[in-house]
Amino acid sequence: MIAEYLTTRFGLPEWLACGGVALVQCLILLGIMMFAAALFTWMERKVAGRIQDRLGPTRVGGRFGWLQSVADGVKLLAKEDLIPGEADGLLFRLAPYVSFCAAFCVYLALPFSNGWVAQHLNVGVFFIVAIAGLEVFGVILGGYSSASKWSLYGAMREAAQVVSYEVPLGLCVVIPVMVAGTLDLVAIGNMQRGWGVNWLVFHNPFLFITFFIYALCTLASTNRAPFDLAEAESELVAGFLTEYSGFRWSVFFMAEYGSMYAMSGLGAILFLGGWHGPIPLAEMLGLSYANHAVLGWLGDLLGAGNFLCKAFLGVAAMMWLRWTLPRLRIDQVMTTCLKYCVPLAAAMFVGTMLWTYALPGGLLPRSTPLGAVAEAPPWTAPRAARGERP
Amino acid sequence: MPVERVDPELVEFDVRTDEMLINMGPQHPSTHGVLRLVLRTDGEVVSSAAPHIGYLHRCAEKIGENVSPRQWIPYTDRMDYLAGMNMNLGWAMTVEKLMDLEVSEKTRHLRVIVCELNRIASHLVAAGTYGLDLGSFTPFLYCFREREKILNLFEAVCGARLTYSYIAPGGLIADLPPGWLEACERCLGELQAVVPELHAMLTSNEIFIRRTAGVGVLSPEMAIDYGCSGPVLRGSGVKWDLRRDGQPPVARMYEDYRFEVIAQVDGSYPRDQEYPPVPPEAVVGDCWHRFYVRMLEVVQSIGLVRQAIEHYRRSAGPVSEPIKITQKLPRGEAYLETEAPKGQMGFLVVGDGTAIPWRVRARSSCFCNLSVLTEISRGCLLADIPAILGSLDIVLGEIDR
Amino acid sequence: MINWHTCFFLLFATITCAFAVAVVVSANVVRMAVCLIASLAAVSGLYFLAVADFVAAMQLMIYVGGTLVLLVFGVMLTARGPFVSMKITPANWLMAGLAGGALLILLLCAATSVDAWKTAAVAASAPAAEGGHTVAPIGMALLGIRVDALEQANPALRGGIAGYLLPFEIVSVHLLVVLVGAAHLARARRRRRPAEAVPDASRSA
Repeated sequence: MIAEYLTTRFGLPEWLACGGVALVQCLILLGIMMFAAALFTWMERKVAGRIQDRLGPTRVGGRFGWLQSVADGVKLLAKEDLIPGEADGLLFRLAPYVSFCAAFCVYLALPFSNGWVAQHLNVGVFFIVAIAGLEVFGVILGGYSSASKWSLYGAMREAAQVVSYEVPLGLCVVIPVMVAGTLDLVAIGNMQRGWGVNWLVFHNPFLFITFFIYALCTLASTNRAPFDLAEAESELVAGFLTEYSGFRWSVFFMAEYGSMYAMSGLGAILFLGGWHGPIPLAEMLGLSYANHAVLGWLGDLLGAGNFLCKAFLGVAAMMWLRWTLPRLRIDQVMTTCLKYCVPLAAAMFVGTMLWTYALPGGLLPRSTPLGAVAEAPPWTAPRAARGERP
Repeated sequence: MPVERVDPELVEFDVRTDEMLINMGPQHPSTHGVLRLVLRTDGEVVSSAAPHIGYLHRCAEKIGENVSPRQWIPYTDRMDYLAGMNMNLGWAMTVEKLMDLEVSEKTRHLRVIVCELNRIASHLVAAGTYGLDLGSFTPFLYCFREREKILNLFEAVCGARLTYSYIAPGGLIADLPPGWLEACERCLGELQAVVPELHAMLTSNEIFIRRTAGVGVLSPEMAIDYGCSGPVLRGSGVKWDLRRDGQPPVARMYEDYRFEVIAQVDGSYPRDQEYPPVPPEAVVGDCWHRFYVRMLEVVQSIGLVRQAIEHYRRSAGPVSEPIKITQKLPRGEAYLETEAPKGQMGFLVVGDGTAIPWRVRARSSCFCNLSVLTEISRGCLLADIPAILGSLDIVLGEIDR
Repeated sequence: MINWHTCFFLLFATITCAFAVAVVVSANVVRMAVCLIASLAAVSGLYFLAVADFVAAMQLMIYVGGTLVLLVFGVMLTARGPFVSMKITPANWLMAGLAGGALLILLLCAATSVDAWKTAAVAASAPAAEGGHTVAPIGMALLGIRVDALEQANPALRGGIAGYLLPFEIVSVHLLVVLVGAAHLARARRRRRPAEAVPDASRSA
């Protein structure tokens, strides 16, 4: 829509207009990801400090150390560019960016509010699960090209872990998809509008349990404690990250925090109502497109705030777990996946299937939103209806 | 030990094509010092773990042949640097045995106070770093917070936080400053409140149990064969503590005290305190039991310090003065082992009539404890090596001297 | 006509072909695997451009994600030294060149011989082409209803039009389970028991 505006008003060639719009969208997403990484680095240190009965950063940028992440970023950029002598140079340099690209691409299909998504794919869920599994390739490359046994060990462990946990993760993701009947994340989010009882996590008890299995699989997928063997300091120095320093290390960590946030966001959409809060404030205040375009946009902004908060809480819970629990051994991680998560997820799948057959409406009565039904903004209509080329 | 005739570099050439040779250390976050472990692994399974030591050897025993006993005390501090008081005590009592010296009652009880406090501090480090090795970052800081209080007490007594040189042959270098006993009792009260937190975070934690139960099982026979001592021996179910069963000078030091020797005998631990139950997966002699023994010993030591404070308050007379640097040693030799936090620490002194000893020898407890690593780590997984090593609780300063 | 669509088509096509050539040319096995991933990911991009979202996501998940991670595993586990180079003799180059060249010529001839592809006409208005909503028709096809061929009059043809898609998928899953079981049963048991481990452990230190 903006591209058409630019073409018709300013006479720009179509490819330039589209390119410009795409660039802006990418930069917004990149900005979100980088800001999330900076925020979460700071938050991790503060949360860790408080759990460990100390303060965390208190000097850089005031009493709470707000600018600590910025200072760390500057330090990492200024570090010496070290590459081990025997390392495969090209792959070593490439590996962090592969991880980062995979983590970034997840945001392409992740909606932040009703229609606020870079690419409104109707296979959104599938795409995200596929791309999230590609992050491990950067890890494998990094571990392999470092020419060190410890790095290789770490990379192998992480690859085995992530690839194994894709199975229960996929199963857990398929269950709300089955209830919603669509792979389209915007549609799944919109299905949960109204009061908090509409959230899919309260749809039936099997989905409730599935949410926790999903949380566990997310922890394992993003290599957070108690599944953080690949970065286990006390065993493998830093696993696949041993030879990485400076900017490349920070790219790996941006990828990790970015994917943590994205998977939390995906969980929020699939289970926790997405951009809808427990109380339908937007409808109550009349912030819908039926009233005025700006009010509708404000309603969507409120939704985006909701979504960001939910994903943020998910990440905070992940950090809480990291600083509390010891880590599991690789064989215990695999046992948890293959002997516990997969059968449980399969059982939840069968349970949900039977439940939706018997009680299609779910456990709790579906609430109706107050006032007018929340309308989708005009740019989410199918492209043919908008007159664009298919 | 057979002498290796081949250049050590060549011996470790990776000739087996189905095994990986991994070098862990000497710089490694979880080897508790400069220890080099050469592991042969088949995938994740370790087939042999050979410790290579000597990176921290500082010729302490040779130096002991050139300085007087009083001057050698700082060298004992730097052996097990986490339990300096106990090292000092071992050396002091050995020289006192050679010279047939008796110390006053007050000195005896004050020695018990500081040695048991140092035992608590050493076990706190062991517990905290063990959690750190297994990935649990928070108990480490809780343990060190409590240890800071003990170190502050020690700084008030002798001016140092780690290398005390406080207990000297003949007595102590200073008495307690005023107000110290009250501060000590306060610290003990706070420590007693933290112990259940540590139990919740580590001892009863499901993941911790899965990482340590059944791992690195050491049978009592093997423990005795290899000369293991301390919590490593008691964790295998052998009820042996030099504070009860040791040579007369050591046993006499603790004869007025009531405490339990922590070892599982007939399937249960001594019942004089509240403690979390033993999980069913734990086998006597595994890492969990060794850790458990240390945690229970902390509580025992708290009780011992309280009793020692009472005895100290009631005993009259001054604290004994240490011997002079120029004091001549009688001809003869004396060997004494004391119960240090990590095991039985033995000192030998051979006097030849002058102020400088003819020979000085320190028998390290951790050296024997470490020697059992190869046996108990056979067939374990790579991630179990830090778990086993942490449960042995070694300090390279004592192993290498 | 250069528009947004064409730009990206050219970009993805170039990446696919260039990295495919790089796979053949590079000497290091892991670099080959990386180039293959890039090539297949670009193919997935081409699918997205053709408004076939489902196939594109499938391509990412199966080819890029699944096959290549396994490929890299296998490469690394069998590599003796760190960076194995493959040596290809000129005779191999010649034979491969002939076979590949012949297939390429065949492909080009076939591609340029279809009249319908020569004009720049818009693709037939299948209901699926709108906005890339391909998932729902695929789902219906799994249940036996071909949404794009609803007006099929002949009842004899109607029955088989869905083509037994669901049974096919079930059989595939079944086959996967069988393969996994067979691999597990046939695995080589070469782990030595810990008791017979390396005898020179006592010589250490």
